[in-house]
Amino acid sequence: MSTWKEQLEDQIPADMAVLIDTFEAQIELRKQGKLDEKVFAEQRLRKGAYGQRYDNGQRHDGVRTRELSYPSGELVKGPDTLWDAPGMQRIKIPYGGLTAEQLEVLSELADEYADGILHITTRQDIQLHYVHIDDTPDLMRRLAAVGITTQEACGNSVRNITACTLAGVCHDEVFDVSPYADAMMRFLLDHDDVQDFGRKFKVAFSGCAGHACGLVKMHDLGLLAQTREIDGEIKRGFTVFVGGGLGTVPQQAKVLAEFATEEQLLPLAQAVSRVFARLGEKKNRNRARIKFLVSKLGIDEFRREVQEELKTVPHDDRHTAYLDTLGDFAYQPAKAGMALNGTPLPDGFSDWYRTNVYHQTQSGYSTITLNTPLGDFTSMQGFQLAEVARRYVGDNIRLSVEQNIVLRWVADADLPAIYRELCEIGLGDAGAGTIVDITACPGTDTCKLGIASSRGLTAELRTRLIERINLLPDAVRELKIKVSGCFNSCGQHHVADIGFFGNSRRSGNHKMPHFQVVLGGQWQENAGSYGLAVGAVPAKHIPEVLEALTNRYVAERAEDENFQTWVKNLGRKEIKAMLQPYMKLPNFDDKPEYFSDWGDSRVYTIDDIGVGECAGEVVSLFSLEIARAESAHFEALLALDDGNYPMVDQQAYKAMVLAARALVRTKYLDVGDDYGNIVNEFRSRFYDTELVYDRFAKGKFARYLFKRHNQPPAQVGEDYAHQLIDETQLFIENIHSAEQRINGVIVS
Amino acid sequence: MTIVPNRLGVKFNLKREPALAAADIVPIFQRWIQEHTVDGMLIDVIDYKHVPEGPGVILIADEGDYAYDFSDGQVGLHYIRKRNLPGILSDALLLVFRLALAAALCLEDEAPGDIEFDFSSAKISFLDRQNYRNEQSLYAALQDELSAILAEIYGGDVALERAYDDPRLSFALRVSAQIDSVDGHKLLARLSEGSPK
Repeated sequence: MSTWKEQLEDQIPADMAVLIDTFEAQIELRKQGKLDEKVFAEQRLRKGAYGQRYDNGQRHDGVRTRELSYPSGELVKGPDTLWDAPGMQRIKIPYGGLTAEQLEVLSELADEYADGILHITTRQDIQLHYVHIDDTPDLMRRLAAVGITTQEACGNSVRNITACTLAGVCHDEVFDVSPYADAMMRFLLDHDDVQDFGRKFKVAFSGCAGHACGLVKMHDLGLLAQTREIDGEIKRGFTVFVGGGLGTVPQQAKVLAEFATEEQLLPLAQAVSRVFARLGEKKNRNRARIKFLVSKLGIDEFRREVQEELKTVPHDDRHTAYLDTLGDFAYQPAKAGMALNGTPLPDGFSDWYRTNVYHQTQSGYSTITLNTPLGDFTSMQGFQLAEVARRYVGDNIRLSVEQNIVLRWVADADLPAIYRELCEIGLGDAGAGTIVDITACPGTDTCKLGIASSRGLTAELRTRLIERINLLPDAVRELKIKVSGCFNSCGQHHVADIGFFGNSRRSGNHKMPHFQVVLGGQWQENAGSYGLAVGAVPAKHIPEVLEALTNRYVAERAEDENFQTWVKNLGRKEIKAMLQPYMKLPNFDDKPEYFSDWGDSRVYTIDDIGVGECAGEVVSLFSLEIARAESAHFEALLALDDGNYPMVDQQAYKAMVLAARALVRTKYLDVGDDYGNIVNEFRSRFYDTELVYDRFAKGKFARYLFKRHNQPPAQVGEDYAHQLIDETQLFIENIHSAEQRINGVIVS
Repeated sequence: MTIVPNRLGVKFNLKREPALAAADIVPIFQRWIQEHTVDGMLIDVIDYKHVPEGPGVILIADEGDYAYDFSDGQVGLHYIRKRNLPGILSDALLLVFRLALAAALCLEDEAPGDIEFDFSSAKISFLDRQNYRNEQSLYAALQDELSAILAEIYGGDVALERAYDDPRLSFALRVSAQIDSVDGHKLLARLSEGSPK
């Protein structure tokens, strides 16, 4: 039987195939102890392969901390991250857009490599959990064959680019931002200028200012669609926001440019990336997001830096080439639009119609939201949904930042039929976007940083709220709840009416799971303002706190007073007084149930909290680039074993050029990918200056590269292949030594 | 020789809907980890009971996962072996059958009279689309071999059918023993004799 690599060879784009092959080689190198664990960890994260809770080989079973003795023993895939420990695979879905075929492949992968569940994140990714690292190259190949990448889904790089799920069908948008999000994703993916960040970088697009849309004000880089008349012509462009973010120190983004034209969009994003890479914090990861740089410099100085940087950005045809293809971004509905009239309505349809259906700007069509509990759906539901999509909407599937699935371009006349079919596959729940549709990060279920069970609490609240949803006043029904398992805000608790994030308190000799209550955050206006933390409450009291808050809100609110205003008017002091009765800590002997978390019968402990990989290790740019060279050398060795000597020549030459490039880029970031250019720069900067000279061999090793570059072999035999492999190894060693010698002089 | 799939699952369904709530399975599986009740390096419990017809509550282990599973609209114990499968298909099936059976019997002990499995039938899943495409032709090619292996496991004739016709889904079979009743304990005792670890 052929391998997935062989089977999919013709379906995977060449650049993606190289990245995945390189990663597979790095897995082998790491297993052989030939690749540093920190470097491998950063490479792994950049492929979206993340650690999971208990991957340090320890778990508290409720009585004692137990060692998990994985078969591969001490082998690690990063600091304190055991090789065999199950991990999470994050999969980028740019602006949440999926085709039916892509949904099917994702479902296959959940079946074969994970636990049968697909999880939608708050940034429109899909996550698979309990994945073994050895399975990831084939998993990535199967995704790449249908146009999906995991490249830079984690790590210190540009993460998934998000956008409003209504883009292109919205009544209020200025224009459809989807093709711009798509263009930026393609442009920045694996771009040289996004490889040397001290921290992750999140980008979002929004079509309008008033709704939540893309939440641009809480992103590192936010783009808000605008038009402006220039020289009598209406031009498309964006208000550019920079330096927003949640996390422990939430910050609203600042306006970098009131209006950047569509031609300026990509060069501007590139310039911002270069400034972030050049001036952003690298050592202290807690202050390495771009929001800290913007704060430190001030927005005016940051803007000046970006403007100066723009002058140095090399010309790139891709900056504007995408504008010629904007017209290709047309949506193809599966059916003609048709009004809903006279069709018998199934039971439950009216409730669902009220909360889950949005009438598009295109007459006769609607967008529907599938209320997906905790963002989870099964592989079987994925296959079934792909069939439903093909019949009713074609490839118009999106994932939302509220962890739901969205189907666009449903003919209105089909709404009763599609509702029936969604109910049959368990995806027909009403209440999308209401108080029952709670957002939650993975928390202690799988996240290494989780302090309390965000999903356990969410499941409990959801169950209780669904039971009485029809009894709730509209003002309560419309509230948004968001839950994070710790202060890192993956559940986006700062921008909910009612947010919770996990923490813990001590009572006697025991720790007790708690949630900090955060009130009055604003979801609308692109996450217009953040909520106030008002106090930490034992996890088991949260349902009562929610009831007390909503009851009082309904009883005391002025007509048309929204939750944010009510909270503001009530004041932190009064709210704290309201929560006080729930904040008392019982002792363990009286109420042992308070010392277990929601959905977990174990006695609570914080001993399982690990070190987060969210930011990845800050590994120097040189380390990352030289690792690529070593992977190519490894590929050459494999080719030698197979007797494929032309491939040996190709890979060994590539390894030498990549090694040279690694060193050149410590001085000259924009060297690019052209082999001739790299060799010339290497020669002038390091060989002619004797910086790469070995104490005894002088410039001999560097000349191996020049020889191969200038005199490619007419024929490649076994002897030549062996010699080239050896020379490549020596050249790479020489580059390592040179970098170490000159480190501190030219390497940051 | 027939290739052993990357992942192999066996699910036994309950005879009837139990009084025991799915939420009660979480502490049971947590205790199984503490007491090492079932085979494998047991890692954690994950709760998916909010997902309709999903894997329910899963006891994650390094080699294979045990799920109190709701797939196909039927409650059951589903064991999916993920790693370290024996290299011969008959040995692999025997191993997975035995471990699924052992776990199901442990679960019966947790709620005697309430949790009762029908061991006379099972679903077998070959979670490996590289080697096992869900096609009638593959089923036809493997039917005799699989029937023989499963007859050996049950100690008598079996009936076999494909679980799903949809070629996108995993290759899966339903097996039914052609005997009046199957005693889980006796079956386990027999399967444990000389069974691969």
